[in-house]
Amino acid sequence: MSERVVITGLGVVTALGHGEKRLLHCLLNGCSGIRPLRGLDRSLYRSRNGAQVDDAELAKALTDRQIRAQDRTVDMAMLVAADALDDAGLLPNPETPPPPQPIATVFGTASGPAQSAYRAWTAYHEKGVKGVRPTTVPRCMFNAVSAQISMRFRLAGPNYVVVASCASSTVALGIGYRMIRDGHARQVLCGGAESMFDPGYYACWDALGVMSRADNPETCFRPFDTDRDGFVLGEGAGALVLESLESARTRGARIRAELCGYGESSDAEHITRPSLDGQTTAIRAALDSAGMHPRDIGFINAHGTATKANDLCESQSIRAVFGKPADTVPAVSSKSYFGHLIGAAGAVETVVTVLCLEAGRLHANLNLDHPDPLCNLCLDSSAAGDVRAPTAMKTSFGFGGNNGVLILRKAGEEE
Amino acid sequence: MTRDHIIAKLRDIMKASSQATIEWGKVTEASTVDSLGIDSLAMLDLMYDLQQEFHIEFEPEELVAVKTVGDLATFLEQRGA
Repeated sequence: MSERVVITGLGVVTALGHGEKRLLHCLLNGCSGIRPLRGLDRSLYRSRNGAQVDDAELAKALTDRQIRAQDRTVDMAMLVAADALDDAGLLPNPETPPPPQPIATVFGTASGPAQSAYRAWTAYHEKGVKGVRPTTVPRCMFNAVSAQISMRFRLAGPNYVVVASCASSTVALGIGYRMIRDGHARQVLCGGAESMFDPGYYACWDALGVMSRADNPETCFRPFDTDRDGFVLGEGAGALVLESLESARTRGARIRAELCGYGESSDAEHITRPSLDGQTTAIRAALDSAGMHPRDIGFINAHGTATKANDLCESQSIRAVFGKPADTVPAVSSKSYFGHLIGAAGAVETVVTVLCLEAGRLHANLNLDHPDPLCNLCLDSSAAGDVRAPTAMKTSFGFGGNNGVLILRKAGEEE
Repeated sequence: MTRDHIIAKLRDIMKASSQATIEWGKVTEASTVDSLGIDSLAMLDLMYDLQQEFHIEFEPEELVAVKTVGDLATFLEQRGA
């Protein structure tokens, strides 16, 4: 018999700030976290805006949690892990370390501890072999993200990272969902973390030509708009505690939402070009997994990267699966508020989806001034509105043809 | 570089390498390295940071006799730090 899966803890940090309250406030009030690039020579790049986490706020939050900074991606993962565990009532007391808890840790990241990797290669470039720090391997290995969380919070279930480009943390959530549904775990800490604002990594994204080159930071990121010209890179992290419904009820934990379906697929076609077949397969699988019909969905938190190719293909995919209900089920992209967090995008946007379900409010499509008629979805949301049905779909589509789709339901609807 | 200067730098470097919560202001020359949360992995980082900071080179076995912060400061002084 399969277990029902609920979400009992949330943690988030983005360019909009640290914590879920600030995030929801900004989303519902149309505040953007996108600014001119900080810490980089803007004149070197064609895309000159970014959605970067405030250094001072991050440092304070880490100090408050007694987390020592080591790598920006790992640091943010540790921070949101602490927040989510705290929210779920599962945070160990640092003064009295508890015995290990049988909680799994599954995090998504596309580039892992990128700051450490950049430092390592810079040291090698400048000083040769003798410049390489002896602990470069444990600092740079991608699973440092989940391993550091596991060690710090004594989470002794399996820990690993999922690398699936922009779908990484959505897939991480899907894996966590299945672990609980199929009885392999009672609690799984899932999430994603990403930070790539060093000169090298940022140059790689800049060279790929998928980021907006418009000047105005407030308006340059325009998902589903006719004038869209790509995304703005963001950084941050999101974490969610997944738990069996039975476990949550036994503990008396506050249920934030139910995760009731997951579907995934691979395009098996092209390394960067999205595929209608791949995406529709994942969307159908998610709906089937949840036992739902498109008309059951209250809103869609779309991948919505504002690249010409993604928004068009995603719109066609949703339309192909939803049919007529796509006329009335609102679709929004959260990325124009806090940037594209790549491997962390799915986790952060799932946190957003949970917050919208809880609040009964859906944020607007920021900067959608001229909806692209080829993106034939219900995008008419110039201002925040009410959520019309207590269920939502979250899509993530990554380079490599990685497609992951989650179905969520508002807490209290799980009977 | 004065010995006090070396001790101050040592304190900063060890703080970055340590896995423990230590009151670093109370660390003295008599404090043992073992008591400062420097495990074998952290020791690798410590040696790297010492070589980078003081612009010297040495092999790990040269530190076998080092037990305290003072011993380490003396070693660095002898190597021309």
